[in-house]
Amino acid sequence: MTGRLRVVPRGFAGPAVRFGVPVAALFVALTIGAVLLGVSGSDPFEAYRTMFNASLNGWASLTRTLALATPLILTGLAAAVAFQMRVYNIGAEGQLYLGAIAASWIGLFLPADIPAVLMLAAMVAFGAVAGAAWAMFAAIPKALFNADEIITTLMLNFVALSLMNYLIFGSRSFWREPQRAFPSGKRLPDSAVMPELSGRLHFGFIIAVVCAVGLWWVLRRTTWGFEIRTIGDSPTSARYAGMSVRMKTIAVLGISGALAAIAGVSEVSGVTKGLEPNALATDIGYAGIIVAVVARSNPLGVVPVATFLAAIATSGSRLQGIGIEVEVVYLLQGLIFLTVTAGEFFVTNKVELVSTDADELPNDNGTPGAEMTGAK
Amino acid sequence: MNDSVVILSIASAITVAIPVLFAALGEIIANRCGVMNLGVEGMMLMGAVVGFWAGIETESLTIAMLAGGAAGASLALVHAALAVSLRVDQTVSGLSLVIVGGGLSSFIGTAGEPGVLSAPNGVDVNPLLPQSLRDLPGVGPTLLGQDIIVYIGVALVGASAYVLYRTSAGLAFRAVGEDPAAADAAGIPVVKVRYLGTMIGGFGAGLGGAYLALAIVGTWQNGLTAGAGWIAVALVILSGWRPWIALIGAIMYGVLNGLGFSLQLADIDIPSDFLRMVPFVAAYAVVVAISASPARARKVAAPAALAQPYARESR
Repeated sequence: MTGRLRVVPRGFAGPAVRFGVPVAALFVALTIGAVLLGVSGSDPFEAYRTMFNASLNGWASLTRTLALATPLILTGLAAAVAFQMRVYNIGAEGQLYLGAIAASWIGLFLPADIPAVLMLAAMVAFGAVAGAAWAMFAAIPKALFNADEIITTLMLNFVALSLMNYLIFGSRSFWREPQRAFPSGKRLPDSAVMPELSGRLHFGFIIAVVCAVGLWWVLRRTTWGFEIRTIGDSPTSARYAGMSVRMKTIAVLGISGALAAIAGVSEVSGVTKGLEPNALATDIGYAGIIVAVVARSNPLGVVPVATFLAAIATSGSRLQGIGIEVEVVYLLQGLIFLTVTAGEFFVTNKVELVSTDADELPNDNGTPGAEMTGAK
Repeated sequence: MNDSVVILSIASAITVAIPVLFAALGEIIANRCGVMNLGVEGMMLMGAVVGFWAGIETESLTIAMLAGGAAGASLALVHAALAVSLRVDQTVSGLSLVIVGGGLSSFIGTAGEPGVLSAPNGVDVNPLLPQSLRDLPGVGPTLLGQDIIVYIGVALVGASAYVLYRTSAGLAFRAVGEDPAAADAAGIPVVKVRYLGTMIGGFGAGLGGAYLALAIVGTWQNGLTAGAGWIAVALVILSGWRPWIALIGAIMYGVLNGLGFSLQLADIDIPSDFLRMVPFVAAYAVVVAISASPARARKVAAPAALAQPYARESR
């Protein structure tokens, strides 16, 4: 008996599916990565073992991984909150820079001897407001004219990058250290530096986790969060129910921008300790989009997913010891994004094997499983 | 500002416009059959690294360009599989292409002996026309002094406009992007057309990337496109999905991109970081302005079924 694959849309995907599919996709991505490593002449098992030891095995490596996961959690949350409403904020990268610029400004401006609690609170607040304000350049045109936020947020990233470069490399600004010949940022006073938790891990990690839990609570436990998710599922019915889509678009992009900016605050205060454009422009904002997609926009899922991606990223430098270039890290991130995206098909559809002895329909679409039993 | 500055600026604006033009043309074609592919940046990067590599290996401009186009088309095939067959969210799928293209291109860039990353350019991109024509005042250095790829790019604008709007194949193609169910009922193979359109789109982006690496930058470096792919996506919206307008937009981009160079020659001092913002600020402003203008003033509409997956209902 011959069989044929049939695609049936799922009405509802249970937790096993919603959790299992992305995990399976991760394994598929790592397998493809192993094949590509093998083809390019490296030993994939040695590579993965090295990566595991460098990132997750032992307290020192784990804190290094969590330190890198810190901004990634925040940019992941930034992307996730917007995804919940089907708004695509690709601008976390630029919003992160704005957060870093604003936080380092207030950190250098306030007297260095004020209590660290006040100083750090001011930096987080200033940074968050700057990031939210920057996001408004995309949010307001989106709310008023439905201007494509993917394009606008993205264009703003390049503007923000040039702005940050200008402050350090292109001018003798307030942020730049005047004494040194090579352009670099003024060092923040000790009160403006995030307290260290262990090794490289700093207080920013706590802020990131609190933001994750807080966002989860807002989205799952408040009416406002319910409305956001309803608009994401069906804008028309949300409007029927009297929800204001415009105000929520502005609010959601504002929150998203603020979260991405806090990642910038955390980096500038906990890692670079001064406005250092090259150390801040490391595509953490873009990586946040991968985090949100893999976590299926669940704020609590963002934390482990960001940690996993950070583990891959931190171990990159160790790979050079065994003759593998750091670029493999980007390759793996890309593959993960791709397989998880493809996996979404298996979250929304069931694929089952049916006997072809029954009703025969010509499969004239030329694709496997092209016979649909229901329209989307 | 003297004449030579103007001439140099125009000549460079045209050259810089070409990668974005190829990518935007490809995206217009993909969009016209209903597939939105935001992965232009990633496909351009793949075209750039593979085209540059092929240039080193073969020293042939033709092979290098075709290899770049094929690399872009291969990545587009992934998008077609995800967006057309698996019907996942086209925005997410397109973004995944940006990340995959960035990752895979930088990975490929480390391969080879000597590595693509450090290798010198394998091909020379020379002016097409003889010296006597290029010496003509005004038009010589600007319009007649370009290489063959530039002329092919402009020819492709005319060709795609003709095929899309003046042939039955183009009509069928656009029908798939406007109303796939009706097109299906009329016997047009919707899925095949969408695969084809997506891959043509990827080929265009790949050509653009290859030209950028071979003729403009002259080396391969990670993230070489630096936003050019996104400019192309914005250009498609600006053009209202019309090839000739995309050509004008691409040249405008070329002018804005070269503004710093021109102003420097004219002894006008503006910080280079601000000049670098100009094309992106312009693209932002244009997208917002187009969205804000009333539909009648725009006289254009996106393909009606853009970014909508098509699933044939059971019969």
